[in-house]
Amino acid sequence: MDELELLKKQWQSREQDLPHLSFNDIYKMLLKRSSSIVKWIFYISIAEIIFWTILSFLVPESNTKFNNDIGINNTLIVVNILNYSVFGVFIYLFYKNYRKISITDSVKELMQNILRARKTVKYFVIYNVTATALLLICVNFYYYLNQDIVFKYMVEDFGLSNVTQERFMSMFFLSQILIGTVLIVLILLFYRIIYGILMKRLYKNYKELEKIEL
Amino acid sequence: MNKELEHSFVTQIEENQNIVHKICRLYTNDSEAHNDLFQEITIQLWRAYPKFRGDSKFSTWMYRVALNTAITLYRKSKRTIKTQDFEGVSFKISSEPYDDTTEQQLKLMYRAVKDLNDIDKALVFLYLEDKNYKEISETLGISEVNARVKMNRIKGKLKNILNP
Repeated sequence: MDELELLKKQWQSREQDLPHLSFNDIYKMLLKRSSSIVKWIFYISIAEIIFWTILSFLVPESNTKFNNDIGINNTLIVVNILNYSVFGVFIYLFYKNYRKISITDSVKELMQNILRARKTVKYFVIYNVTATALLLICVNFYYYLNQDIVFKYMVEDFGLSNVTQERFMSMFFLSQILIGTVLIVLILLFYRIIYGILMKRLYKNYKELEKIEL
Repeated sequence: MNKELEHSFVTQIEENQNIVHKICRLYTNDSEAHNDLFQEITIQLWRAYPKFRGDSKFSTWMYRVALNTAITLYRKSKRTIKTQDFEGVSFKISSEPYDDTTEQQLKLMYRAVKDLNDIDKALVFLYLEDKNYKEISETLGISEVNARVKMNRIKGKLKNILNP
């Protein structure tokens, strides 16, 4: 196999026309890990929307009927549509962040993009927590103003008996507050764990990039 | 904490980067793909670095991880390696003056090697790197006998391509 031997000879003498990367060029490649972190943020946001959608199918029939009777079902549907739209916008933003980070190659730009990605996540978390809290407060405020109807349908839809309205309502609001608080704490905890870890890593990468830039 | 680790890693990559460049050149066709593969290999090497215990030479370990990355990446994207820009590859001969026929032969040979499947290409690459069969078998995780048999088969294949 003469040609292969020839190529082998050539192969070894051709080393000098290979590209040469500096220490910093290679170091920067390690920091590209940021792009995979931002990719995860994007994936998790999608998983989250799927989770909420599945959860909404699990709401018992009596609950929907109750909301319908009391006259807030349509409002809730509108709120849902709004919520999904905002969610959609965030998912799009996460995707954009991911695309941007994976194609930049200047350190400065990468740093800016990391900051932007962190900011988007922060707004996303703020939006979600505020929206949940606001919805809970509004619905309960409505219940509070219409206590008579709430009690009437509660008795009808959930088959309550042997309770006075007053006693029931105080128990009802107490449990609403309790459940609402637990829900918000759970959401906060979830974001703290999932995004907290990713954010920390992004921040670490950012700090390292800062060192290169100086 | 892993600052030192990062530093020693990047230094070693910098010293041995020719290995990665050569693999990239063999497995990709344009500079963009070359850079992509280089980066992917660097990241894979970095991920595997904590497991590198130094019981083999850094370069030997690097051959293994880099080739694995090139092969799996190639499989994943199912890119067909066509050698469109082959003419751009120059075989400037510095030391010995070859004639045109030799130059032509070299080009054809190089094209034939690039057209091999990903695993055969890895074998030829190590052969071109002047590795002996023991080293080749260790790097690719096959037996020495198997490496020899395969290499002979590839030589036959190349011969067929060049002299149909």
